[in-house]
Amino acid sequence: MRGALGWIIRYGLAVAIIVAALFPLAWLAVAGFKAKTEVAATPFQFFPEVWRWDNYAQLLADEAFVRALGVTFAGAALFAVLSLVVNALGAYAFARLEFAFKRTIWAIVITTMFIPGIAIMLTSFIVVTELGMLDSMAVLVVPGAASAVQVFFLRQFFLAVPTALEEAAQLDGAGPWRIFRHIFIPLSKGAFVVVGATSFLLFWNSYVWPVLTVTDPELFPIQQYLATFRSERTSEQGLLMAGSTLAALPVIILFLIFQRHIIRGVRLSGLK
Amino acid sequence: MAVTSLRAARVERRAGVRARPRRESRAAFTMLAPLLVLLAVFVIWPLIHAVYISFFTWSFYDPAVFVGLENYINVVTDEEFVNSVVRGLLFSAMVVPVQVTIAFVFANLVKTVSRRMAAVMKVTIYVPAVISEVIAAIVFALIYTHRGGLLNWFLDFFGIEAIPWLGDTATALPAVAIPAIWIGMGVASLIMLAGLLDIPEAYYECASLDGAGPWTKMFRITLPLMKNVILFLLVTGFAASLQFLILPWLMTQGGPVNSTNLPNLFILQHFNTDLYVGYSIAAALLLFGVLGAVSAVIFRLVRSEKAMDA
Amino acid sequence: MRTQLIRLIAAVAGTAVLAVGCGSGGTGQGAAGGKAEITLWQQKFTDQEDAWYKKAVAAFNKSQDKVVLKHVIVPADVWDQKMKAAQAAGKAPDIYTVNYSKVPGFARTGQIQALDPLIPAGKWAGLQESVVGSVEHKGKKYGYPMLVEPSAVLYYRKDLFAKAGLDPNKPPATWQELIDYGKKLTTKDVAGVVTAANQIDMAWSTWGLQWNAAGHLPISDDWSTPQAADAKYRQLLQVYQTLYQQGIMPKQPLAPYADANPLGQGKTAMMVCGSWAASVLLQDYPKMVADIGAAALPSFDGDTTKPTATLGGWTLVVDAKSKNARASADFVSWLLAGDPTLLVEFFKNTKFSKYSPRAAVADAIKDDPAAAENPWARTIEEQVVKYAKPEPAYDWAISLAFGKAIEKALQGKDIDQALQAADAEIKDVIAKNNLAGQGS
Repeated sequence: MRGALGWIIRYGLAVAIIVAALFPLAWLAVAGFKAKTEVAATPFQFFPEVWRWDNYAQLLADEAFVRALGVTFAGAALFAVLSLVVNALGAYAFARLEFAFKRTIWAIVITTMFIPGIAIMLTSFIVVTELGMLDSMAVLVVPGAASAVQVFFLRQFFLAVPTALEEAAQLDGAGPWRIFRHIFIPLSKGAFVVVGATSFLLFWNSYVWPVLTVTDPELFPIQQYLATFRSERTSEQGLLMAGSTLAALPVIILFLIFQRHIIRGVRLSGLK
Repeated sequence: MAVTSLRAARVERRAGVRARPRRESRAAFTMLAPLLVLLAVFVIWPLIHAVYISFFTWSFYDPAVFVGLENYINVVTDEEFVNSVVRGLLFSAMVVPVQVTIAFVFANLVKTVSRRMAAVMKVTIYVPAVISEVIAAIVFALIYTHRGGLLNWFLDFFGIEAIPWLGDTATALPAVAIPAIWIGMGVASLIMLAGLLDIPEAYYECASLDGAGPWTKMFRITLPLMKNVILFLLVTGFAASLQFLILPWLMTQGGPVNSTNLPNLFILQHFNTDLYVGYSIAAALLLFGVLGAVSAVIFRLVRSEKAMDA
Repeated sequence: MRTQLIRLIAAVAGTAVLAVGCGSGGTGQGAAGGKAEITLWQQKFTDQEDAWYKKAVAAFNKSQDKVVLKHVIVPADVWDQKMKAAQAAGKAPDIYTVNYSKVPGFARTGQIQALDPLIPAGKWAGLQESVVGSVEHKGKKYGYPMLVEPSAVLYYRKDLFAKAGLDPNKPPATWQELIDYGKKLTTKDVAGVVTAANQIDMAWSTWGLQWNAAGHLPISDDWSTPQAADAKYRQLLQVYQTLYQQGIMPKQPLAPYADANPLGQGKTAMMVCGSWAASVLLQDYPKMVADIGAAALPSFDGDTTKPTATLGGWTLVVDAKSKNARASADFVSWLLAGDPTLLVEFFKNTKFSKYSPRAAVADAIKDDPAAAENPWARTIEEQVVKYAKPEPAYDWAISLAFGKAIEKALQGKDIDQALQAADAEIKDVIAKNNLAGQGS
């Protein structure tokens, strides 16, 4: 009896957590099937009166929306690659190589982790303006590519690689570059997936920085598109819901594809 | 003496294996170059510049005027700023304990439910973490709609009158806290789970042999051994929750009567409307200087227990 | 080692180049033929207005070959931070749209240029004095007024009035009536009245009512002393408190104040909104038009000649750091002080929901037969515009302090305390920004 009750409580709680996590998104997708003004119509109805594809179809036919998705996707992919290259190389140097002022440089890099975006928002903007980067993909991709958090994570990962492997390679006369390429890269695919996916996500969801640096509508990222749509077209909530669904979908799919790596990665980034 | 010779021997061996240490140093700096250049240009220099600007009052058009600590004094003596910080702490107090509790329940559930259920749970709990604050704000604002909203419709079944969640000073802050919890619970839960799985099963088996019940195990084994993980989650959760900006910005613009005007939003609104810059930057630096220092110290304390350098 | 280094640099540079390349489509550097490029930032308005600007810019570029004007539409929700950042980096646009109320502050802090030296004196003739006054600072003109629109008009649903047993041709004449009517009109699905409900919207949309209630604004004319604690303001805050606390206005805003959609969608029986609402209603909800009436807001003491609204409006200004100030001013002059036909088209496209402060344009509109399309224009002009005041020129922080007081009242806080707090805050703003004596 006690066992049965315990089972019910446990599975009840488990289902409750699953519902809490997914329900808002499920409703978002359902609301996207409603007529433009039906979303917040009174009295409330959970399901649309008529399931219609209009909103989704209209958005996918809207050049600005599709461009925003495309630009964000391309930017996120570029950002993932760039940040992976930059941070993995740096992390490897900290994990395996000896060089002057290593501790000091490490301390500086780690400190940048605690600098909040809003304090340097304006002055970073001045920098990218001076560099003539405004209104380009570069201004979205380059400034945030170096990340102390990722360097930290990758360094932890590299430190865990047994030294025996590279010692053998060193005896064969291999330098750091060859060791990195032939030993560390093949061993680190899982960690790289985590870092790449995290960067992709970070870019996909960024809002404040693009708002500041991009004025050309051809480069509007998807979050800005949604936020502006929301404030300008208050009467078209069905469309907004559909747009939000379409904007959330790519990262959810990405997560589902790489979920094993990412879940393991999150666990590694904790206290391990 | 013995120590010295040992070290000498090791140095010799290393030098032997790694044929050319200078080559290594050069390679190291080449590898570090992109990282350090990017950090220097886009993070460190802007920080230095921001600190510099914070001592000036500057309209961008007239030359900046040096005012020493005046901006900082204005910030500290501004009741609205102090209120926003207190509000931020209150917000953290709403978000973080709930998040950590959910994570703890989650982790313990995953350990006890079937393997398949555990796998589903691990994936679903993390899905909200990939959703942007913009989309979360859009969804939750709509859920909170006063008339014709999902939440009030649901509460109507229990005979509860429609509540203006985002329109009332009493409910607005908790209403903004919910999506913050929702977004953050996935990461916290998975970290908690990792910590829990690290506890050797043998401990529990021994306790069972001694006749310990589930509560005893919880208080004698799980919680003490999870102390560090929970502390880590509290600190990182605190730092993250104090920095929410987009949620209140899009959901309530900080209202009603500033009841959701969190520190970052306060700073941004000052930046947007002040005719002179200096105040907003001083406020940002002040707030996060303290926050960063506190986090760094606790971070170090937690970390130092596990030898960080290999 | 060397090859590795080169490879690395190539990889990083390659990514960067790729990145830059992807975005270079929009930078538009180096306009053709070595012509100077000047930039116009236009805040996003309605689609009709945006289209008009686009057309005008194209025409301007065709009309001369000295400069190329680049037109950028900036969403309203991100305008402030984009502009601030651009100014800080010295990259503010040469020309931008701005609300009258901000012009004197920008002039005082040296952000924009005086236009009188750049636009010939003759071009300034035939403009309404009071409107010109709102773009002046220390005797110089900093913007060329383009339009005026009263900030607060009462729109109401005649059919719902009739249904509730009210006379559809008699809009509420006193605030008590507005409250009573609102009560009768409120149903589960339809709000009694919709108006500004957060401090930012209330800060500016109630300027007219602030005049109406107390005969002055919450700061003295010379900006030296706060006047928010005046007991006459109690009635204004009381009205908002009653409307909100009794559930006549929605407990959670349906849309921002400037947004006319709630009335069009049938979610409210009355709506306070600016004259611009007319263009949205005519454009997007043509079937509703016959059922909608317009009137001035009630006056607190019943005197209908007292202001109930301020005349806001948009103008173009030239950035103080513009390297092509002359050319920029030429554009402003060409657009706003030149051929009236272009502007007439603007007022036509916006369904005559705005008014021209320039005689030549106003006269041309008056004769336009299409003006009859806007059934509310006359009422608004005769009952609202005629008695309206220009927008105040003081710092936004002062307006916001008063908006905050109204919002506190709305939320059920003590009215006297709210006014006292606003008074103290305004005093603080005066001291911190050295405002005393800056007003006129």
